[in-house]
Order: sequence, then structure tokens, then C-alpha cells
Amino acid sequence: MFAGGNAPQLVGPNGVSTIAEFFDSWADITPFIEAENFDTSDFYGPAVELNQYPEINTGLPLGLYPSFILYNIDMFDAAGLDYPPSDFSDTSWNMDKIREIGMKLTLDANGNDATSPDFDPENIGQWGYGDQWSEMRALLAREGAPDVGRPTSADYKTATANSPENIMALQWYSDGIWKDHFIPNAEQGDAMDATGGSPIESGLQAIFQTHTWYLTESIVGLPFEVQLAAPPFNHKGERIAVIDADNFTMPKDAAHQQEAWEVMKWLTAPEQIVDVCLIYGCVPARKSVQDSFRTAFQERFPDLNLDVIFESIEYLDIPNNEAWVPNWGRVNEIMENAGGIIKTGTNIDAKSVLDETNAELQTVLDEYWASQ
Amino acid sequence: MQWLNTRQWTLARREAASGYLFVSPWIIGFALLTLGPMIASLYFSFTKYNIVDPPKWIGIENYSRLFSDPLFWQSLKVTLHFAVLALPSGLVLGFVLAILLNQKIPGVNLWRTLYFLPSVLSGVAVTLLWIIIFNPQIGAINQLLEKIGIKGPGWLNDPDWAIPSFAIMALWGVGSSMIIYLAGLQGVPVDLYDAAKVDGANSWQRFRAVTIPMMTPVLFYNLVLGLIATFSYFTQVYVATSGATGGAGGPARSTLFYNLYLYQAAFKYFEMGYASAMAWVLFVIILILTGLVFRSSSLWVYYEGELRGKSES
Amino acid sequence: MSSTTTTPLSSPISPTPAIERWKLGIRGGTLAVKGLTTLVLGAGAVIILVPLLYMISISLRDRTQIRQGSLELIPMRQIEVEINGKGEPLYNVTVDGQTRQMALVKKAPGGKGIFADPSNLDQTYELVLKDQSPVSVIDVHPENYPEAMTTVPFDRYFINTMIVTFGGMAGMLFSCSLVAYGFSRFRARWINVLFLILLSTIMLPRQVTLIPVYVIFQEIGWVDTLLPLIVPNFFANAYDVFLLRQFFMTIPLDLDEAAKLDGASPLQILLYVILPMARPAIVAVAIFHFLYAWNDFYEPLIFLHSRENWTMAVGLQTFNALYAVNTHLIMAASVVMIIPPILLFFFSQKIFTQGVVITRMAEK
Repeated sequence: MFAGGNAPQLVGPNGVSTIAEFFDSWADITPFIEAENFDTSDFYGPAVELNQYPEINTGLPLGLYPSFILYNIDMFDAAGLDYPPSDFSDTSWNMDKIREIGMKLTLDANGNDATSPDFDPENIGQWGYGDQWSEMRALLAREGAPDVGRPTSADYKTATANSPENIMALQWYSDGIWKDHFIPNAEQGDAMDATGGSPIESGLQAIFQTHTWYLTESIVGLPFEVQLAAPPFNHKGERIAVIDADNFTMPKDAAHQQEAWEVMKWLTAPEQIVDVCLIYGCVPARKSVQDSFRTAFQERFPDLNLDVIFESIEYLDIPNNEAWVPNWGRVNEIMENAGGIIKTGTNIDAKSVLDETNAELQTVLDEYWASQ
Repeated sequence: MQWLNTRQWTLARREAASGYLFVSPWIIGFALLTLGPMIASLYFSFTKYNIVDPPKWIGIENYSRLFSDPLFWQSLKVTLHFAVLALPSGLVLGFVLAILLNQKIPGVNLWRTLYFLPSVLSGVAVTLLWIIIFNPQIGAINQLLEKIGIKGPGWLNDPDWAIPSFAIMALWGVGSSMIIYLAGLQGVPVDLYDAAKVDGANSWQRFRAVTIPMMTPVLFYNLVLGLIATFSYFTQVYVATSGATGGAGGPARSTLFYNLYLYQAAFKYFEMGYASAMAWVLFVIILILTGLVFRSSSLWVYYEGELRGKSES
Repeated sequence: MSSTTTTPLSSPISPTPAIERWKLGIRGGTLAVKGLTTLVLGAGAVIILVPLLYMISISLRDRTQIRQGSLELIPMRQIEVEINGKGEPLYNVTVDGQTRQMALVKKAPGGKGIFADPSNLDQTYELVLKDQSPVSVIDVHPENYPEAMTTVPFDRYFINTMIVTFGGMAGMLFSCSLVAYGFSRFRARWINVLFLILLSTIMLPRQVTLIPVYVIFQEIGWVDTLLPLIVPNFFANAYDVFLLRQFFMTIPLDLDEAAKLDGASPLQILLYVILPMARPAIVAVAIFHFLYAWNDFYEPLIFLHSRENWTMAVGLQTFNALYAVNTHLIMAASVVMIIPPILLFFFSQKIFTQGVVITRMAEK
């Protein structure tokens, strides 16, 4: 749109990734805020932080999409397993536990689960756990590397994709697919999407780690029951629940910036923000409307335990997995390619994959800085 | 030419002027949309240009970066791999079909129409259909294979089978080249066959001695065009690899065709200078390929005039 | 450039007389050859047609049917019986030598399933799942079509595609006739050089001019409008000019001369003498353009950004990317997109294939 020279006046809601992808296109709203002393104190800390950049305030935040565990109750019942906890203080709920019950929930065509010696990995009927819709940066962020969701150092000059935590996260995922067989691989995941449209909807996967935007479309009218649970602890004993966030932005060359600013304020005003957020499935970025949002959201999903969503926010990833890095497009492609290599089984050793990924990233970063 | 008098000369001049006038739409278009842009893209290829900011001269850096870019080499590898799979098989299949369709059998026009049909359909629509057919779990191909006891591969999701999948898709549309071979077959002068029969040649010998040599210009022509076309291959790859497995470029970049990478560089990463460099490298590659095939053609392409001359001697 | 040989496609190699066939030892060969040929062609035609029929079949199913993933071309759906408030699939089950209809209540390990007769739920049977066949009924969903057309604004896309296709076609016919006329009927010093340059541009890859052309259109504000797809056609293109020019050259000059004697201007000669005689070539070129523009994806993808400007090709692709789950709707939309070309093709295939022949043979 911007390359077309016909930029719209207001854009949004944009995810952190969209803002990063077109980073050079946005107008800084700081002047507008200062001009009328706009009160931003009602905006929720994390919501603002995620979209904040040192040089530029790209826009007013709309909402947050915390992540959590979503599970298929019927499949747990059929396997006779306890449900995942919604108690955030339960430290037994970690990645190893997911692996353990994931394997029990994975059944082959004959009904053997993945822990049984007769398990046939060539004919899997259902899977225990999956993360197919998460982007690689999010997947890796969970193990809590120092740079969390950003594969570079804070000055953006050194690539840190192959940190020990990232390697651990990717190896856990790789083993889950190729050793323990409780996570679907590339083609299985794709087939799942083709039949059911999404992992949970397809009825072929018991546990899914996803965000609130998934709820608005994909769990309506399902022939089985689902419930939310807390995100797991990682191997370091910490919990990181990656988050997505949306805000509204205004392109740099928009002709009517004042009007765009007015609309931006209106959309995120306490009166409207709940309605807008209900459409998209985000937790509003304003503290003052949390209760009214919660009531309305609960009405839509009477059976879901929404406490999980609100508690999850505390564990968000900063630096965010979608945040800007130099040459964002290329970095993203390189990271997703690493995921593709693992998911298709081209190379299942996370360390060698991430080492190569890191080398590629470093080249991209070096090129960026060389041309500045 | 002898200008006998002023009047003839004026008429000739007027004729030339009319001619140029009628051709002028093309001349203008050529200047504005072909020649001008060609020069501009050559210039861009030496700059860093992201559309938003003005171009910045960086010399041959794009080209040096290109030759050390693993994605560039990957895209060449992918494109050539596809060419090696799709071109020879398409050639053989198209030729065989043309021979079959050259027989005087009932309903031959209907058959020809049928085989040509896939080529007129939208690449997007057809690719969407093939995505379903190639689906590892519920797609028709793997289900058929399962019935005969073979576990089908992941096709478009499997790095080893993604390119063959595209080759199969391409073969489905072999009708368009088949028509050309058909025309070529029918252009073979009947008297050559008669002469061969008089010499006692059977159908296989006639095929080898008359049909094949006479068809080599057409085969040659299709080979060149086919090779150039693989570098323009875009729609099917874009549509089939927009899904969840690693985004456009296929599973583990196994279907990162040259034209796709060029598109990504220009319109995803906003590296217009880099993409322009890729375009010029492509141009050179095509020139070299075309040159090579033309050069080698003297070895194996017979033109009607030549052959006639030989058989009459 | 060799002259055009427009051999009509319907005259194959002349069959040899019976005596010669016998001499060459192919007794009755021609009939066997023809029979074999027809057989092989038939098999090939099935391979060509089945995917298209499959496309139609999927377009008439609903989501549960697609999930069941059946291979039959006719959309079937496995019947479900309600047991304890849940729908359970019905199978034709062989038990005690009899075939009865039973519902699959639960899956059991070892590839078996627990089946029960809906009328007698206490008695259950554990049988091998693979040996039972589902009870299916034909279930067709033509409502997919209107739904597909409205889920995304396909009417908008259709209009855009029509504008681009016919607008471009008008421009192409207009400019290519003029240019081809210029190249075929006028002697001028540089005209052959220009013609060679024209031909050489056929070999030029699009990518070499793409980016600057994009920049030009962006500078004049035409990006994200339909104009970049229509206007360049008014400047002629090498392919169609070549085709028309070759055809024009087969039209005898005497008619031109006669018209000139009557005082006709060059333009009048073009309009009243050449074009009427060139109708087959013009129709062929128009059809080629229609198919090209209707199916074009690359340029609309690059130049059209806002949803309301998309053509069908881009709209369809986005439909798939965003709503991948609606396989049935996507197929319905795809079928709609391929229908006009198919219709056009069948109604004009003679002209079409002849046109192709003229082009390709002449290019030698």
C-alpha cells in the first residue's frame, strides 16, 4: 500500500510484526500526544511497551493477545488423564510434563499411544501437542534466552539465534516430532489444516498453545469441548507466555494526519475499545475497561476459564517475538526456514540448524550495518 | 533504388512516413515501457533502492552480494532441477501425444481439444486444485497409492518431492506444446514419406529417417522456449507455497524458484536494486542459453530446404 | 523467416493402400494401430479430465465430507445416527454371516471398533474397522457457490477482471492492428530494423523492465489502480503484432491497389480492406488476449494492493491463503473462474488452434 503512494490515513489493527515490517513508513504520534496533553496513563503498561520504540511512538495500542494452552477435553477423557492445570503456581506443569502427557495422548491407527512399544509412527491418528501456528521466534522465546523473542543482541549487531536456550527449545520441538512422535511434522500439520482448518478444529490434536485471536473464529460450534489452561514452565523454571499486540498506526505520508489521530483516539477510547477488541479477540489496552471487557468476553465463551488469559499477560515476552530487527523481512524468512528444516525432517539436530541460521542472520545484520 | 523523379521520391517518402506513423504506438511504447526501463533497471542494479528513499549508488555491491548469497544459488538450483525434470518429459510426452493425435481416428478433433484444455485454465485455480490432490492425508494421489499399498510422500510439503510435484502439474498442461508438435508433424511433406516407402522403409524406419529429422526445428524451438519459461515460473509456486510450511519458498526453501526469489527481493524485502541485479543476471543467463542452443542447432536441426536439397541430389 | 504454412489440422498422413501394407508386413496393422491409439488417448484423457471433475466434486461438498476425505467423484456423506445425543457414523457391518447397519460407537485398540445396532444399544460388537464399509448417501451442496461468491467480494473481483480484460483487449486490438499494418504494408528505410527489434523483445524477460515500470507507475500514482494493467496494451505488444503482420502479408496487394486507385487513404485501406479480411487472425489474437488477461496473476499481484481493486486471480489466491479451511468454497470459486475460458475455448477452438499454428509455424 505504501509503495503505491496511495497510503490510507489510518492503518490497523496492526500486529507488532506489521509495524516492524514497514517500520520506516509510520508517523511518530508523539507530537500529537504532546500537543493536547493526551493522557496515556490508562493504557496498560505492557501494551504500550510492546509497541514502543526509542525513536518513535508508532501509534495508540488497541489490545493484547496473550497466549495459553488450549486443550480438547474429550481427548483427555478418552485417555483417562488429568486436565492441564489453570493454577499458575503449579510448577509441575512444565515442558517435560507436556511431553509426558503428549505422548499418552498421541494414538496411532490401532489405538496405541506413543509410550507403547507397538506404537506405529507411520500411522498416527491423533497428536498430543502442536505448535504449528507459532512463528519460530515465538517458539524459541519460551525457553527464556537472554534476548527472549529477539534473535539479536540489544544493539542489533550480533545474531543470537543459537543461544543455548533457543537450541534447547528447538531440540525439544524436534524430538517431539521425530523421536517421541507426539507433535505433527510439516506434512501432518498441513493435512490437519486442510481437513479441519486449524489444529484444534480438526479434532486431531489434544493440546495447542495459541493466542486469544484463535478463540474468536476457530472454536465456535465444535463437536467436542475445549478449555484453557496455564502456559507451561520452561526448563529453567520460568514461564514465558509469548504475546501478540495490536495498535493503530498512521503512515508518514498520510495527508490528513489530524483526522487520523482523531479516529485513532476514538477507536481506542474507553467507550469503543471493548467493542473493537471483542471483534478481534484482544484484551483491551486500557486498564479502566478490563472488567466490562471481561464480562462481555465471558458471555461469548461461557464455558472457558478466562482467568488464564488475564494471568498470562504477566508472563509476556519482552523483547517481543515480533519486534523490529534490521532487515525484518529477511530475518523472518531465515527464522521460519529454520523451523521448516526441522518440521520437514531435513535436519533434526537443532544445534546445527541454529548455528547455520545464526550465521545467515549475522550476514544479514552485517550487511545492514555496512550500508548505514 | 533508382529515384527516377521527384514524384516517386515524394511518394516513397510519404509511404515511409505513413509506415512510421502506423508503427508509432509501438515505438513510443518501446521507448517508455521497454528501452527506458531496461536502462533504468541496469542503473538500479548498481544502487541500493527501497522505493521510499532515493536510490543510493553502491557500485557492484549488489552483484558481489548476489554471487555469495546462498539463496541465489538455491534459486538457480531449484529452477534448473525443475527444468531437468519437466522439460525432457514434457518434450517426449508432447511429441508422443502429437503422433497419436495425428492418426485418422474418429473424434480426433475432440481428443485434441481435450488435451489442450488444461492450458487455458487459470494457474491460480489449477494450482489450488493440485494442492488438494497432493495433500498427503486426504488427497487423491496418496489415497490411490494407499489402495495399492504404497505410502505416498508428502508431495508439496516434502522438500524432496516438492519439485517433482510441480513437474507433474506442468505435465498436466502438456497440451499446449503438443499442438505445436502436431502442427510440425503435419508440415512434414508427404512425398518424403512416399519416397521412403518406395525405398522399402517400414513405419519405424520412416519415423526415424523422416519424422524425427523434420521435427527437430520444432523440438529445438520448444526446448529453448521451455528453458526460458522455467525462469519465469511464478504463479504456481507462489500459490502453492503461501501456506504454513515456511511461507513462500516452499518447505525448507526447496521450491524457491528464481522468479519467486526476485519477487521476494523486490516486493517483500524492498531491495529493488538487488532485484534489478537479479533481473540482469537472468537476462544474461537467457542470452547464453539461447546462444548455446542456436549454436548447437547446426548439429541436429534439419531445415526443410536442406533436406530437400539432399534427397534430390 | 520461412513463409507461413497454414496446413489445416484435419488432414493427417495419407494411409497406405492395402497391397503395400501387406508387402511391408503390417497385416491389418492400421486398424490395430488406430484401436491402440484410441485406447491410449482415452486413458490419457481420463487423466486430464478427472482432476477437473474432482474440482467440481469438492466444490459441491461440505466441510464434514471433505474431512471424511472420500475418493469418489460423486459427493457422498456418511450417514450419522444420533446415539446418546451424539452423531455416530453408520457402517455396513458383517456380523454372524449377515450384513447389518450399525453405528460406530467407539474406537478400540488393535484397529477395531465397537459397533452397536441403533435399535438395540445394549448389544455391542467389536469388529475390525477396516473391514466395514461406511453407509453413505449422495450429498450435494450447490449452495457453496453463492456462499463462495459472497464470502469475499467476488462480484467486485469479477468486475475488475472484466474491465482489465476487455479494456486491455480493446487497446491491444487498436494498437496492434495499426502497428502490424505499418510493418506489413509500408516500405521504409528502417522499418525492417524496427521489426527485428520488435521480435527480439519477445525474448526479453519481464523482470528486466518490471521494477522501473513499477516505479514509473508509482510516481504517477497509478499503482493500486487498474490502469497499469490496461494502458500498456495501447502501445502494442510484440507477439500480437507479429501474428497480425504475418497474416496481413498473406492478403494480396491487389485489393490495396484497387482501393488506392479509388483514392483511399492508408487508414481507410486498413479499415475497409485489410481488417475485414483479417478477421480470423483478429479473433485469434483477441481470444489469446482474453485468456492471458483473465488468468494473469503476476501483474495484478504486483500492481493491485487494496482489496477492492483485485482481479479474480488475486482474490482467489488470497481467499485460499486467508480462509484455507473452506476448501469447498475455494473450489467453488475456482470452478467459477475457469468456466469462462472453458466456454470461450469450446466455442472457438477451431480458430484458436489455427491461430496457434499460424503463430508458431511462422516464428520459425
